[in-house]
Amino acid sequence: MPTKRRLRAFLFVMMGVLFVASVPWYRETGDPVTLIWGLPDWVAVALGCYVGVAVLNSVAWLLSDVVDPEPGDHQP
Amino acid sequence: MTFGQMGLVALGFYLAGLVLVAEIARRARKDSTPSDHFLAARDLGVFVLFLTLYATAYSGNSLLGYPGKAYRTGFSFIMATGFMMSIIVVFHALVPTLRPVAVAHGFVTPGDWVRHRFRGESGERALTLAVGILMCVALANFLLAQLQAMGHMTGRVTDGMISYEVGIVGLAFIILFYESRGGMRAVAWTDAAQGILMLVGLAALLWWLVGTAGGLEAITDRVSEVRPTAVAVPDATVCANWFSSIALLGLGSVLYPQAIQRVFAARSGRVLSRSFAIMTFMPLTTTLVVTLIGVAAITRVNLEGIASDEVTPRLLEQWAAEGGGHTVGAILVFLGALAAIMSTADSCLLSLGSLAAGDLLGRSGQDPQTTKLGKRLAAGILLLMVPLAMWGQLTLWRLIELKMELLVQCVPAFLLAMHWSRLRAWPTFWGLCVGTGYASVMALTGVKTLGGIHVGVIGLALNVVVASLGSLALPHRESASS
Repeated sequence: MPTKRRLRAFLFVMMGVLFVASVPWYRETGDPVTLIWGLPDWVAVALGCYVGVAVLNSVAWLLSDVVDPEPGDHQP
Repeated sequence: MTFGQMGLVALGFYLAGLVLVAEIARRARKDSTPSDHFLAARDLGVFVLFLTLYATAYSGNSLLGYPGKAYRTGFSFIMATGFMMSIIVVFHALVPTLRPVAVAHGFVTPGDWVRHRFRGESGERALTLAVGILMCVALANFLLAQLQAMGHMTGRVTDGMISYEVGIVGLAFIILFYESRGGMRAVAWTDAAQGILMLVGLAALLWWLVGTAGGLEAITDRVSEVRPTAVAVPDATVCANWFSSIALLGLGSVLYPQAIQRVFAARSGRVLSRSFAIMTFMPLTTTLVVTLIGVAAITRVNLEGIASDEVTPRLLEQWAAEGGGHTVGAILVFLGALAAIMSTADSCLLSLGSLAAGDLLGRSGQDPQTTKLGKRLAAGILLLMVPLAMWGQLTLWRLIELKMELLVQCVPAFLLAMHWSRLRAWPTFWGLCVGTGYASVMALTGVKTLGGIHVGVIGLALNVVVASLGSLALPHRESASS
């Protein structure tokens, strides 16, 4: 189904963005660190990104079509 | 009753439960085919499949190696939550293509895919063998790490009443017993129980750590006083290593033979999708938790000159020393750790037996004799590994790094082969040799990373270049299936 496929493609792009954003490559090593939810801010950002990936990935799996072939069907 | 005596009793009950499960699994078997023994007749439902995937993915390394790594590096080990999550994302590239072919053709081992994909090509046998050898070496490596961890953990839970050597031999025998009696059914059912034990144990340990420290903020404040670098924004090399770990672990871990065999063993494609939809949250309940445990340990234990793997046991000893319910909680976590280790070891052993019989010796996946041969080979491999485990000195983290460097070289034969019909057998074989050779030589000379990038990832890049250019140079093969 094209809509489903487009939605999954969007989810994968978003997950890619979140993975890139999770790594603090855009921060300087000596930058001051503040605490968010008891964690250093860059750790809280990474954690937020991974929670986002988990939710999007779960939706992507529920939308995925892992179809088993009918008995006797020997073509992939 | 002392801590050691309580631990011994709990261990006894736990092992008796495993033996009982093996007997029930043996009675549930339908026939003697490899499919029934190694894949539980392809009938695993959502709950068991999810828990066996979980218990297999989170090994002794997760409970012993990862807290140690977090203790050494600080908060930057949050990267582990990312790379464990990337595995479930990368599975999207594998499962929807592999599952229908595997069901249609009755695959039992990963080598069945390689044989099917490259059938009719002169390099098919060489490539199947190379992939099989690489996977067996990686699995044996992983099994060795679990055996060592089993020995250490048995000694801890019984407070030295059972020695390291007796722990290894005794638990190896129990694993061999329930795995050969009940096959994948016994492994999956015990994995389910072991997974629950691990989850409960970790949650209890973190609850105690955070509670006694006065909250997460207090822990972070104390860590920043004791070791400011553990809280500081990581430098460029660490960031490069973070990206590299996501690539290495994400790509390599989907090719664990035991994970691929669970894709074959699911009752249906729908069951598989649902299991992965739940699995994607597990890094948050497991890897994140062990990372926080390791960071919190910075303020509680001193591991100067001691192996990193000691972090979790040292914390548990402190917890147990508080007495009463704390002692019981610590024993539960020790058992949870032991369960995690055993569940990974049993899955490795089951896969090793099937790979050695099917992919290395070329036996049929439909023949009941292959099941017998697989069981004997598994027993032989375990007999060889036990003395090695008694002698070995490597820490768990180093072992898993070496394993992934090798396993990731199989990526072109699976992921690239599934999505690019022009890929040919001989170039894939030579690519695998080049990537493996590079990663092995670098690792053996002590070079683990270059600018933060793992040598296995660089080896994979070389591997893909050789496989792709070689395939493009050869005439297009119309009959190649993708």
